[in-house]
Amino acid sequence: MIARKPLIATDRAALMLQLVPYLIGKGEVSIAEAADEFDVTPDQMRAMVVTLTVIGLPGDGGYWQMSNDLFDIDWDLLDERDIVVITNSVGLERAPKLTAREAAALLTGLQLARAIPGVGDTELFAGLLAKLARGASSTPADVILAPGPVDAVRDAVAEALSRGVAVSFTYKAPDAAPTTRTVDPVKVLIATGEWYLQGWCHLREAMRTFHLDRVSDLELTGIAIEHGEDPIPEWFETGGGDIVARIRFPESVAPLLGDYLDRAKIETVDRMSTATMHVADEYSLRRLACRRAGVVEIIEPESARRAAAAWAEAGLVQYR
Amino acid sequence: MPTNASAKNPPEERLVNLVVALVATDQGLTKDTILTSVSGYREQSEAGASKDALEKMFERDKESLRRLGVPIETIGDWADPDDLREARYRVPTAEYELPEDITFTPAELALLNLAGGVWSESSMSAEARSGLRKIRALGIAVGEPIIGYSPRISLREPSFAALQQAIELSRVVTFPYLKPGEAAPRTRRVQPLALVEYEGRWHVFGVDLDAAADRTFLLSRIVDDVTVTREGFDPSLRDGAGERALAGLDEVASRNRALLEVNPGSEAALRLSRRALPADQGIHVPYVDVHVFAGELASYGPEVRVVEPPELRDQVIARLEAARGAHGGSA
Repeated sequence: MIARKPLIATDRAALMLQLVPYLIGKGEVSIAEAADEFDVTPDQMRAMVVTLTVIGLPGDGGYWQMSNDLFDIDWDLLDERDIVVITNSVGLERAPKLTAREAAALLTGLQLARAIPGVGDTELFAGLLAKLARGASSTPADVILAPGPVDAVRDAVAEALSRGVAVSFTYKAPDAAPTTRTVDPVKVLIATGEWYLQGWCHLREAMRTFHLDRVSDLELTGIAIEHGEDPIPEWFETGGGDIVARIRFPESVAPLLGDYLDRAKIETVDRMSTATMHVADEYSLRRLACRRAGVVEIIEPESARRAAAAWAEAGLVQYR
Repeated sequence: MPTNASAKNPPEERLVNLVVALVATDQGLTKDTILTSVSGYREQSEAGASKDALEKMFERDKESLRRLGVPIETIGDWADPDDLREARYRVPTAEYELPEDITFTPAELALLNLAGGVWSESSMSAEARSGLRKIRALGIAVGEPIIGYSPRISLREPSFAALQQAIELSRVVTFPYLKPGEAAPRTRRVQPLALVEYEGRWHVFGVDLDAAADRTFLLSRIVDDVTVTREGFDPSLRDGAGERALAGLDEVASRNRALLEVNPGSEAALRLSRRALPADQGIHVPYVDVHVFAGELASYGPEVRVVEPPELRDQVIARLEAARGAHGGSA
């Protein structure tokens, strides 16, 4: 859900400029639907619509903004049925061009969408890129995503999703023995170049998330999926463990810790932050401690500190 | 008459009234006409606000609207273009509206909806939604939604927004940049040209003015606010910058190649093999930044051993020693 932040006057003006073409395009629309489209509350939408009726052409010669010069709506429909219909329009009927930043946000999103097998062809993407460039009021900043490697597992998962059949594969979770799984694929999550498959695991009889880098020997089965409609877990189900751990790091490196901090409680004193989080076992933080050595320190539990020191020592032994 | 006209007319009303007036005029309106006829200014004029104050308000409004992408054109005196006393202002419809010949197919709209949803929790998410709203207002039917995929771009670096703005405006930026191994950050002066996500990390590509050369900076090493200066640069430098940045990073990766030995079946083997090329003994893995890569390799602990280059091996050993020391292991 998008957070509804307080709007400043310029933001409200930008929304009003988009509201007229939207209302005209719709012909008739409920306050609730319009509020949803504009990410505002129904009360805010009603206020915007009412404001619209005092906006219009200046008029001239002392006859300022006569009723024909102003936008108008069907007041009965608004008061009685919460429905908006524009009855007089004085301009702004076609949507404004995209700002450079709006265009950039969509152009970059398209680069990510393009990595999905079977979603659109080269021609479709090229056409869209050209239209967005032409529909922008100034040149968007280049915001580029480097294309990821081509991958047979990803293609096979896409195929299974579109055919609606279960897949079987070997899964190697970190610090655990490999297991063989059969999974009804439901959704593929893509984040920072990593792919995750969410689906109903026949072994665990529950929805699970699998990192596709840890998947091997993937094959499509002939089993039609049965659990595609089940509720799926939240985006990242990190944490979820029984052990309470605390780590300490300079406040400035928080952006580097990414997912680790998604569910953590963070306190900062004198630019040093302490994050408290739930982890599955004492081993889950040792990789982070070595990756961010000298920056991130595990404070507790003591077993996790020992695990990190032992992990580092085991690495060092190789160089003696 | 209201004594406080500005309280009665909120600024957004004035801004939108101004746009309506400027779009409706072909030959343009003079500042005097605007201040005495456009609602929002007119009331304040009549209430006796000083011309100076009104003109300042108009200047601010013009700036605000231009930031929203509203193209306000100034038509000067053709005999003396610098004389703005008789200047006329207008918004050319062709520049303001989405061009009439741009339409989107239902399939394209479905793809744009997916593309617009990738920005989690960043200001780019609001920008994408706003852009989609404008396109949807063209009244096009949406095709079958693309289900089964939830692509996300995460953007945690606070410097991103300022850098993007500076690129749009073609302005020089300065920022404190902390290179690993250096004791203190050094201020860089850069013409920023493109933002690039490479191997899951955000970079800004541009011309480092002190080095007088193209450089790529990791956003995570920008340790404090980015300052957008008033110094501009030639916008044509931005042409094709994204492609050049990618090519540069690819070139660096192909030049830096580590020889590694990995334990089969381990996390390290899984994560590295996707990027690896076979070697006689072990695997070759290209990398962009020795510090970033050393961090990743250190996280694998005993699962990987660096054979070469020596710089990478030393960096990994240093990290492992630091991690062992910090967690009570014998130093």
